[in-house]
Amino acid sequence: MPILLPYLYNGGVYKHGFLIELLEDLGGYIIQKVVTGTEVNLIMLIPEKDVAIVEKQSKELLGTLTEAPLTGVEIAVVSPTLASHHLPHSACDIAENLRHPGANTTMIGLARGMGRRVSLSMDYERRLINEHDIAVFTFGSFRDCIINKKPKLFEGIEIPIVVTGGPDLKTEEVPGADLYVGNIGRTSHRLRKTEEVNALNKLNEEVGKIADKIRKEQARDPLTIIPARVMKEIENQVPAIQTVLSPAPLTLKLNGVRVKLPYDEFHEKIENLKFDEGVILSELANISRSKMKNYILIKIKSKSDVGFAI
Amino acid sequence: MDSLETFVVESAIPSEQEFYRKIVEDNLVSLKLAPAIGRIKVVLRPEDSLFQMAIILRNVGTKITTIDIADIETKPVAHEILISIKKEQYIPELLGKLWERYGRQNISQPDRWTVAIHTDKVEEEAAFLGEMKIADPRHKLHENLVDFSIRVTPEGFRVRYHLYKGSNFIFVASEEALKQEWIKEAEVMLEELMEGGKK
Repeated sequence: MPILLPYLYNGGVYKHGFLIELLEDLGGYIIQKVVTGTEVNLIMLIPEKDVAIVEKQSKELLGTLTEAPLTGVEIAVVSPTLASHHLPHSACDIAENLRHPGANTTMIGLARGMGRRVSLSMDYERRLINEHDIAVFTFGSFRDCIINKKPKLFEGIEIPIVVTGGPDLKTEEVPGADLYVGNIGRTSHRLRKTEEVNALNKLNEEVGKIADKIRKEQARDPLTIIPARVMKEIENQVPAIQTVLSPAPLTLKLNGVRVKLPYDEFHEKIENLKFDEGVILSELANISRSKMKNYILIKIKSKSDVGFAI
Repeated sequence: MDSLETFVVESAIPSEQEFYRKIVEDNLVSLKLAPAIGRIKVVLRPEDSLFQMAIILRNVGTKITTIDIADIETKPVAHEILISIKKEQYIPELLGKLWERYGRQNISQPDRWTVAIHTDKVEEEAAFLGEMKIADPRHKLHENLVDFSIRVTPEGFRVRYHLYKGSNFIFVASEEALKQEWIKEAEVMLEELMEGGKK
């Protein structure tokens, strides 16, 4: 199986089809294509040995090709509530910044996450957060709250937990957190001062490291099929996905794919997805109803479970 | 009193104090409240889940009438009153009142700065319009002040007390049932501010 590297292409719409065709010929995958006016952003996986070829092509098209280390990672950005105290700043700024290196983010506002003694999370919310790869909790400016009161929101969260807040704390001081990034507390202005931008960049960097760690652990017992290939086969075999208007109709995760189609209508089609090797998807993955709306969640089994990989 | 001649935010940890001062500042700016506030003091005690604020407002002026924001010209022969606007910010309120009184079909706006009213009783109506109350800045200020208080308070502090009397404003919020002494402390803060903003 070739090693695929994530890259982000940014350039003009004119002739960008050449790049897509080239990528198909090389055996890479387009994860997401976003066209805004005359600009196009392509998030893609390129086979390691062919990166130079794609780079040459993108130079000819006068675009830029940058590494996108968070491609294929779905991140839950969790704020205590969806009130104006947290949105649009700083929660949206954090989510936007995490999308720059290719991540897909879901903004989750808890129903009763605010306050010190009274904050709590519901079972449904915890399950929804657990469907993601990494959870980023955005907290406020008080040291006492972050250390003593807010960590109870982490109960029941099984994925790596990243915490952002105002004060300068060490990760060990926040019980239950896998990473703490300071200088991103509660604000009512856009985060664009030097120290704020630095803190956001540090967040990206450290989240990237966590993602790498998960990938490395995965590599010891690899998935039976790479999520990007499932994504491509769904595009080929389930034409209804073309009519979905969400920005990421197929959301790539580290161990699966979220398909933004109604479960009841489409789950059989997804289960019976055929691969050239003669297997169908339900042999390789668990397909279940997602907690997010009524979508389909594909969780790919590991090689040790199934006995083979394709 | 100058605007924001006293602006104090107090908290036990200096860095948190800075963070919070910025939040208060941002919200003052976004609600355009800074010119209306003379002195403000905010005290935070996160370990007690307590937020206290005392504000002394500046004199924001009285009610605004049509004459304050526009010139009125009468044209008896054409059965028309022409209003030439000088302060654009009150146009929505003015138009709302005019539509209500004369009906939309009798009001036209030849350009951005002019409103023409078609009426039979030109002189009488012109005299009435001159005295007509358009906006009350105090009322708007009260609305903004309440909005401001809720925005700057930490979100979980849902038990609130407020007192708005003349140009003085006190706001206390907490997560727990409010203690009488917390409100007393806020009253003391207000008195200190009145004496000239002791720091």
